[in-house]
Amino acid sequence: MATARPGWSRRAQYGLFFSFLAVIAGIIVGLILLVLSLVAPQQFERVRGVALDVTGPVAGGLHEVTATVEGVFTGAGNYWDAASQNAELKRENNAMLQRMVEAKAIFQENQQLKATLQLREHERSTIAVGRVVGSSFNSPRRFAILSVGESDGVRVGMPVRSPEGLVGRIIDSGALASRVMLVSDRANIVPARLLRNGIPVIAQGRGDGTIDVRPLEVGRNPFKRGDIIVTSGTGGLYPPLVPIARVVKLVDDGAVALPLADPSKISFAIVEPPFEPAAIAAENVPSPAEAP
Amino acid sequence: MPRAALTPGRRIGQGPRAFAAYVPAATVIAASLLSALPIVTTSGWYPNFGFLLFISWRLLRADPWPAWWAAPLGFINDLFTGFPVGFSIALWSATMLALDLIDRRTQWRDYWIEWVLAAVLIAIDQALQWRIARVVDAAPPFTQMVPPLVISICVFPAFAWFVSRIDAWRLGR
Repeated sequence: MATARPGWSRRAQYGLFFSFLAVIAGIIVGLILLVLSLVAPQQFERVRGVALDVTGPVAGGLHEVTATVEGVFTGAGNYWDAASQNAELKRENNAMLQRMVEAKAIFQENQQLKATLQLREHERSTIAVGRVVGSSFNSPRRFAILSVGESDGVRVGMPVRSPEGLVGRIIDSGALASRVMLVSDRANIVPARLLRNGIPVIAQGRGDGTIDVRPLEVGRNPFKRGDIIVTSGTGGLYPPLVPIARVVKLVDDGAVALPLADPSKISFAIVEPPFEPAAIAAENVPSPAEAP
Repeated sequence: MPRAALTPGRRIGQGPRAFAAYVPAATVIAASLLSALPIVTTSGWYPNFGFLLFISWRLLRADPWPAWWAAPLGFINDLFTGFPVGFSIALWSATMLALDLIDRRTQWRDYWIEWVLAAVLIAIDQALQWRIARVVDAAPPFTQMVPPLVISICVFPAFAWFVSRIDAWRLGR
């Protein structure tokens, strides 16, 4: 398709025409695949998994390099002003020790109360622990690449958390790496509640690294700056009481919150089994009488 | 190019490299693979490297690769960047077609026109990404797409320069 008129050569003219047809065919095939991947994303699970396996370990290796370089610089920075830092850490440590004793007492009391109530405690098991080695840095969606895959037991749909808070859930998995839809993605909606007073809220990503939180019940805006949002466990995918985000700004019908687990800073991400697999399975079966 | 033969310091018998015909496509694949870089951000403001390199090549030359290669190149880009499969296949094929049609109309080209063309193509790319995200209810407000759009348009000349260097290298000029 180089030039408009290839001359009198029949062969060149046909070649031009067929390459034109090939491009049209490319567009049509692309559109069909696009519709397929939007309507039935599981069609491409296998091939996407393979692509993840190709890039995942590369990203992991490069991540080690950048982490080392960063570590050298921050390590050097820590020596700067070490004396006053040390004093501050000692002060903090003392305060922490006091809080820890209090927390232990509360924990024991909690155990006793639970025992009297005979609550069935869910066992928190860990499927795999990986690192966040990459992200969708050139798209409006918010995905991250995790350095664990199906060979570690990771499956699509599993929740991912870090010690700091909720990270997201698995949407693609290869043998060696997997793709996580972060809580800050627009399509990730997490049933949650306010830690302060237990008011049920809905957390939805905003696509720019922050989260929109809205109360389930219409009325007064229940949020305050600095509020912690935790998962409620409703829906059965995410375990309850995992911190999600901290409220940073109030808007008229809700608030904007910042995820506690910043994917660029967390050192480890923990993949857990779905909290109530039975509930999810029941939800996927279309039922005529759905609870509001 | 007879004039090139007169430039001093030029070795006699230097021609195109081996596999010169495959170099452009290879660089586009390499750019798609840049998604494997360990950049973890929550803003998504980085340019779409694969697409930028793709249009840089196509604007520099009319035939960097056979037109139908756009589809497999787009497929590779979709797989590695995590776009829905088919998005880049359709968009890149349509880009080849559109630029061929534009080539028939335009009488002359300069850097500015190429930059404007590239800006329009990048804007179409971003708008379609946003549209696709809206289909699955995952689209941010459109204002959030403006920073990556401006960044992509601003870095395009760097990509065009890089492509022209690669082109000179592969042809042994």
